[in-house]
Amino acid sequence: MKHFVDGLHALAMTLRNGFRKPTTVEFPDVIRPRAERYRTTFSLLYDEQGDQLCIGCLQCERICPSEVIAIKAAGKKESPVTGKKRGYADDFVLDLAACIYCELCVQVCPVDAIVMTREPETPTFSREDLVLTMERLYANGKNRQRAWSDGTKLMAMQEAGRAAPPPKAAHHAKAAEPAKTAAVEKAPAAEKAPEAAKANEPAKAPEPPAAPATTAPTGTEAKP
Amino acid sequence: MLQTLQVERRVDPHLSIDRYDPEAELLLLHMGPQHPATHGVFRMDLYLDGEIVVKAVPYVGYLHRSVEKLCEKLTYSQVTPIVDKNDYVSPMTNEQAINMAFEKLLGIEVPRRARWMRLVFAELQRIASHLLWLGTFAMDLGGALGGGSTVFIHSFREREMIMDLFEEISGARFHYNTHTIGGNRHDIPAGWAGRVKQALDVIEARIGEYEAMSLHNRIFVQRTRGVGVIDAGLALELGLTGPMLRACGVDHDLRRDAPFHAYDEVPVNVAVAHGGDCLARAEVRFAELRESVRLVRVTVDSIPEGSINGGKPIKLPNSIKIPPGQTYVGIETPRGELGTYVIADGSANPYRLKIRPPSLHALSALPYMLPGGTVSDALAILGSVDPIMGEADR
Repeated sequence: MKHFVDGLHALAMTLRNGFRKPTTVEFPDVIRPRAERYRTTFSLLYDEQGDQLCIGCLQCERICPSEVIAIKAAGKKESPVTGKKRGYADDFVLDLAACIYCELCVQVCPVDAIVMTREPETPTFSREDLVLTMERLYANGKNRQRAWSDGTKLMAMQEAGRAAPPPKAAHHAKAAEPAKTAAVEKAPAAEKAPEAAKANEPAKAPEPPAAPATTAPTGTEAKP
Repeated sequence: MLQTLQVERRVDPHLSIDRYDPEAELLLLHMGPQHPATHGVFRMDLYLDGEIVVKAVPYVGYLHRSVEKLCEKLTYSQVTPIVDKNDYVSPMTNEQAINMAFEKLLGIEVPRRARWMRLVFAELQRIASHLLWLGTFAMDLGGALGGGSTVFIHSFREREMIMDLFEEISGARFHYNTHTIGGNRHDIPAGWAGRVKQALDVIEARIGEYEAMSLHNRIFVQRTRGVGVIDAGLALELGLTGPMLRACGVDHDLRRDAPFHAYDEVPVNVAVAHGGDCLARAEVRFAELRESVRLVRVTVDSIPEGSINGGKPIKLPNSIKIPPGQTYVGIETPRGELGTYVIADGSANPYRLKIRPPSLHALSALPYMLPGGTVSDALAILGSVDPIMGEADR
């Protein structure tokens, strides 16, 4: 009898699942909605005047944990657009085959030149196509939709709530409850800071003063 | 709390097989490293008498990537995305463990908001990790209900929801690199808490289904009850942690006993079972699934406002230098205590970095659990250990 009841339970579950909507989609035809911060391959950007943004500072090459970026810095050259002297990269190669997509190169870029793209179609027909040369990277920047993050936004997100509060904010945020109300009052003030407000779309953007534990002991970090 | 238990000396099964009948003709079966039930590349030599295992010798190291040595060559800022790949079923906890060790050496206090976010991430990751364990364990048992891979596919469906949630945080589906020294790199996007709770509603409802398919399933219980028994004394002697230890009746959980993140503010109910067999391990993990769902529900709404990074955001590879010193930090991952031991020498690279993976210790219990069972029991036991070779071999 017990076996019979168990069997009925199993059948009921099978039936229930039979009438559920499928959770998968036919990939090339239907593309699932991607998260806003979704990131896949890389691109280099131009500025508004059509000048290359990359200044060849080698920061991304140095931070890359898997050493897939190789840059030949050109030194200072006259910009073909504005005529001012500034740094350029002669050559910029990113080997996507060994990339671990850690986003650190995007974070360290001081001029937001290197960003990631949002398009999921990274597979290629040959390995050589995975080596992103400078032309490919700049073509990606023109043709592909760029991902949400860039150096400025990532830094603003992490700096938010730390740069603003002078000692007096920390002093009056001793207890947790008063700190919360202080954060609510200061909310409009935070909107004025353009970068911070843009980067922190979250409604509950981290407020500058607030939380008790925000004071960072920067003194402990050794200077390079 | 850990109680002192009488530890009896026992024969090390590695030493010899003399205590078994030497005249018997034993069949040596190489299991793995390509066997699909060995969870990656794990190999064990099974000495079989008929279908009964009389001796088992596990071999690890097929997935050795010299992560510890690699970390010595990298700067502190570069280590996080590398250790992501250690326990490739719960990358969040890997990042947290390594960064907590660096923060302890630097004396950085992590902001309260970042600590609460880490707690939520860790618990969501625990749900995802246990769902993957459930799927693969049911596969090892030959498909608990309806045959084939029913539970496997079902639990992966829910795991996908959690990966979608993490994708909204960091943009990556799996190797997130969302922690940094001093806090987190990405803040929570708008409306994330609401989507977390929607996902939890679905997952909580489905956990009941999984229990019906496994714990309340006659076949599942027959395959797991009394199989792979390990007693509390041996478990402590071998250094087992996590669900493996709690299934033996030892009430030990670092989330409660040595609180990290924000666990000192949120009480955790620790699940303990007393069988020490595969069924007890499954029960513990199911209880942890429900407990993690509860913890995320409690915490996700009350993440405090404030900064997410108490240190300096990474801008230069060499900017973080840790003064000479050494430290050990252990946190409770879905598999047990993941320890990180760092020796710093004042430069921008760790002088030595040692990772204590819970899976390696769990695998060391196999020679004690396998003898006496059949070959099919060996698969059930291996599945209940939930080893991740990425962290066992590093």
